[in-house]
Amino acid sequence: MDWKISDLKELEDKIWRCTACGTCKVAYEYGPPTRSADICPAGAEFGFEGFMASKGKIAFARGLLSGELNWDEDLLDAIYKCTVCAGCQSQCQLDHKPFIPEIIEAMRRKAVEDGVGPMPSQKKITQSLRSYNNPYQGPRRVRTDWTRPFKKAKRPIKDINAEPAEVLYYVGCTGAFNLPARSVPVATASIFQKLGVDFGILGENEICCGSTAMRIGDASEFKRVAEENLHTFQRLHKEGGVKTIVTSCAGCYRAIKKDYSLASGYTEALDGIKVIHTVEFLYNLLKEGKLPLEGSIPWKVTYHDPCHTGRHLNKFIIDEEGSQLWKGAYIGLNEEECLYDIPRELLKAIPGIELKEMGRIRANSYCCGGGGGVMTGYGEWAASNASKRISEGMETGADYMVSICPFCHYNLNEGAKRIESPMKLLDLVELIDRVLPSLD
Amino acid sequence: MHARNKELIVKELQSIVGEKNATGAKHICYAYSYDLSFVKPKLPDFVVMPSTVEQVQGILTFANKERIPVVPYTAGTNIGGLTIPERGGIIVDLKRMNKIIEIDPEALVAVIEPGVSHAQLAAALAPHGLRFGWPVGPPSASVSSCAISHGIGGMNARYGLQSQEITSMEVVLPTGEVVRAGSCAINPEAWHSVLPMPQLDGLFKGWLGTTGIVTKLGINVHHSPPLLKIFTVCCDNVDDMYSYMLNLSNYEICDDLTGVSWWLAQVPIPYPYKPKPEKDPEWFSYATTYSFTQKEKESKEEIWSLVLDQEKQKGTSIKETHYPEEALKARTQLPSQIVGSTKNYCKQGGAGISWPGTFTPAKKWAPVYKKWKEILISHNLSPSVRMSMYRGVHYGMLRAMIPFNKQSEKETENARQAIVECLRVDLDMGGIPYKPPVDFAVEINKRAHQGYLMLLKKVKAMLDPNDIMNPGKLGF
Ligand SMILES: Cc1cc2nc3c(=O)[nH]c(=O)nc-3n(C[C@H](O)[C@H](O)[C@H](O)COP(=O)(O)OP(=O)(O)OC[C@H]3O[C@@H](n4cnc5c(N)ncnc54)[C@H](O)[C@@H]3O)c2cc1C
Ligand code: SF4
Ligand code: SF4
Repeated sequence: MDWKISDLKELEDKIWRCTACGTCKVAYEYGPPTRSADICPAGAEFGFEGFMASKGKIAFARGLLSGELNWDEDLLDAIYKCTVCAGCQSQCQLDHKPFIPEIIEAMRRKAVEDGVGPMPSQKKITQSLRSYNNPYQGPRRVRTDWTRPFKKAKRPIKDINAEPAEVLYYVGCTGAFNLPARSVPVATASIFQKLGVDFGILGENEICCGSTAMRIGDASEFKRVAEENLHTFQRLHKEGGVKTIVTSCAGCYRAIKKDYSLASGYTEALDGIKVIHTVEFLYNLLKEGKLPLEGSIPWKVTYHDPCHTGRHLNKFIIDEEGSQLWKGAYIGLNEEECLYDIPRELLKAIPGIELKEMGRIRANSYCCGGGGGVMTGYGEWAASNASKRISEGMETGADYMVSICPFCHYNLNEGAKRIESPMKLLDLVELIDRVLPSLD
Repeated sequence: MHARNKELIVKELQSIVGEKNATGAKHICYAYSYDLSFVKPKLPDFVVMPSTVEQVQGILTFANKERIPVVPYTAGTNIGGLTIPERGGIIVDLKRMNKIIEIDPEALVAVIEPGVSHAQLAAALAPHGLRFGWPVGPPSASVSSCAISHGIGGMNARYGLQSQEITSMEVVLPTGEVVRAGSCAINPEAWHSVLPMPQLDGLFKGWLGTTGIVTKLGINVHHSPPLLKIFTVCCDNVDDMYSYMLNLSNYEICDDLTGVSWWLAQVPIPYPYKPKPEKDPEWFSYATTYSFTQKEKESKEEIWSLVLDQEKQKGTSIKETHYPEEALKARTQLPSQIVGSTKNYCKQGGAGISWPGTFTPAKKWAPVYKKWKEILISHNLSPSVRMSMYRGVHYGMLRAMIPFNKQSEKETENARQAIVECLRVDLDMGGIPYKPPVDFAVEINKRAHQGYLMLLKKVKAMLDPNDIMNPGKLGF
């Protein structure tokens, strides 16, 4: 497969659109009411302008391209101290806006190609990918540990390679290997069984989506797993009749929807297959009146928009031909695919739930701090950033924070523990599972 | 600088502000070496981020002893290279000193630290129904830096410059002492006024960070009346626009009374120069008014209609118009991300923006504009000019916002030459540039009264005997 993954040099003209105005440093809304808050976890933590939002990252990119900056330990460290959350991107209005996360990742790709990146602590991610096809150094057989309760209850989950199913539930490595986040696939599978969805999993044969490799600049490892996955999806469609791939992981979702689309055979590989996040799948059922929510959960909750199911799914409208403004001009934004309203609608549909919004939501959501390889590379910072988000959630008066990403799930719970907050993060599927009538 | 020496200095700075808040790392310094303007990039040697007044004192005392240049920095958006160090040294990045110390909704005073941004203050004032004269600049830029640099905001026709809103200040001198000017000098709780004392705050306003580091600032804030009415007109030429603005300004009903040329009314400014369509008016104006009651609003409308009639009777081409929507939003819904992110200025040009930004007697606006137009078009640049009337007097801001492609050295130099040429024209007609880059400072000094220069140098030497504060920026 051919891939359209830009290197830093190819992005040079975009990099030179940045004026260094610094508007990307603050989540600001005129309103009314007028709101202003930090948007960049790296800037909030490390302070110097180089760390600050896209303004800072583009400074590094310029220096690397012009040869004024050369790799050393500190520069390498600085380009990895970024969660690639795209909060900065939401603020910028210039022509390089659509490419901001790409510019950051292209620097990382350069670091990997030049033999210096990723950070030593992140190297275990790609080593693990090579050895185990997952970033958690988890043996294959552990991947299905979460399914044990289902076996025990005599409701085994289909192995889609052995038994055909219409829906492939692509679990993702975090849900499968990260113990605290296992509640996400458990609840998802439980919901599907209760609803009678004909679904299966790849089980021990599932391999990583490649998101983490891509985020830390290892394009070749990303391409290896992505290509294998695309072939698997195609095979399952042709041979097993899979029509839908559902994932409850924001990272996998973003990778399959967006990163995989850089492959030459993407459209053909996914021809006849719909890739959908669990919450959208459930929302569609809700609209059709097929999601019977019973009982009540009398909680106040706040909702955290994961970066990967939110602003990372923006579609940027660019004047490719130069027919409206000029060639390459950024024209506007299509947020249609961003999962902002759907999880909120689902939450509101749960009897008893009262949704209390935080100040920074939707496109201005404040990253949990775990993305972009930060959770592995800088665990302490990831957790302390998560504590800030948990504190923001507490200010709303909510009892729980809800989200739709196992990564955020793990990191925000770590953040809560760090500050001994009573607030816990739950995945939306965990709540829905509670109010879906049980099978028995 | 010798590496060993550099290491020792970093250690010393870290002992003042903490290990994580001082560095000499090249990549960190690099991000402070350039800004939006045509000013050539230059590297600082160190960056420090103090969070207390004591730390600022420590930095300055040390720098003064070692004779290391110091450049105060908040966001670096001044469009004049004013935080690009002429002679290396220490960037003192004040973003961590970002406390809003007090908002007194009764006294209408806010006390802020230098790192407080326009966005932050706007969000804090909003619940009190209060506002400030926000500039059409980045929401992330500093309120105090704008004020001490004689910045211009959305209420300049009513209250004057941002610096005229300053009520008190605390400053650390280059030699490390903490000083105060205004009422807070007599009573530490009183931040209401710089008068009737000698205006010592003048020692730190308009000095481009060359006389000390402001650590606290008192500013006046104002009630935000609920009824906004923006009067928008257009006309065929600058003389007619001047006539209208002069006339309307006499009634003192506007918060902001601004005229912009066709090129500046575009989002974005065309780059390179593009001729205006023949049928389009050459000038637009927006005049913002706020009222507390419907009646007040109606009487402002009555005045404005009167002015419009008078201008028509005079035979000018002034007529009511629909101002381009996004441009109007960008200039009246402040602080604004549209202007802040330079979308309306640089989106087509690319990365660079500079201005001949001046305070010019209103009667010279038209002749200066005509010359500027010739110069800018001859450099293939848009004459994107703005004129704004100041508080009840007939002088104001005259500036051309000039975007350029900073990726190209040639295009950057072309813009620089055009802008300096424009500046000379304005200076010769009695205008004075604000936030001047060194190129402008040199032009100012060439024309300055010898007594003024002597006094300037004496004051500077008194406050900063070792010339450590932002050296070179005053053009000597
Ligand atoms: C698109 C755009 C539009 C703009 N429009 C306007 C406008 O309408 N009106 C306007 O007035 N400005 C405007 N500006 C300029 C600029 O945004 C403002 O002046 C801004 O408030 C400066 O803040 P800053 O934090 O960037 O200051 P900086 O650039 O960091 O500093 C400005 C100057 O103050 C000095 N300084 C900083 N902090 C201190 C301190 N604590 N003590 C002493 N000296 C200090 C610096 O050394 C420097 O000389 C615009 C800028 C842009 C990019
Ligand atoms: S990335 Fe965009 S918002 Fe940030 S400094 Fe550059 S131009 Fe401004
Ligand atoms: S992607 Fe997120 S962490 Fe990285 S610079 Fe932008 S706002 Fe900061």
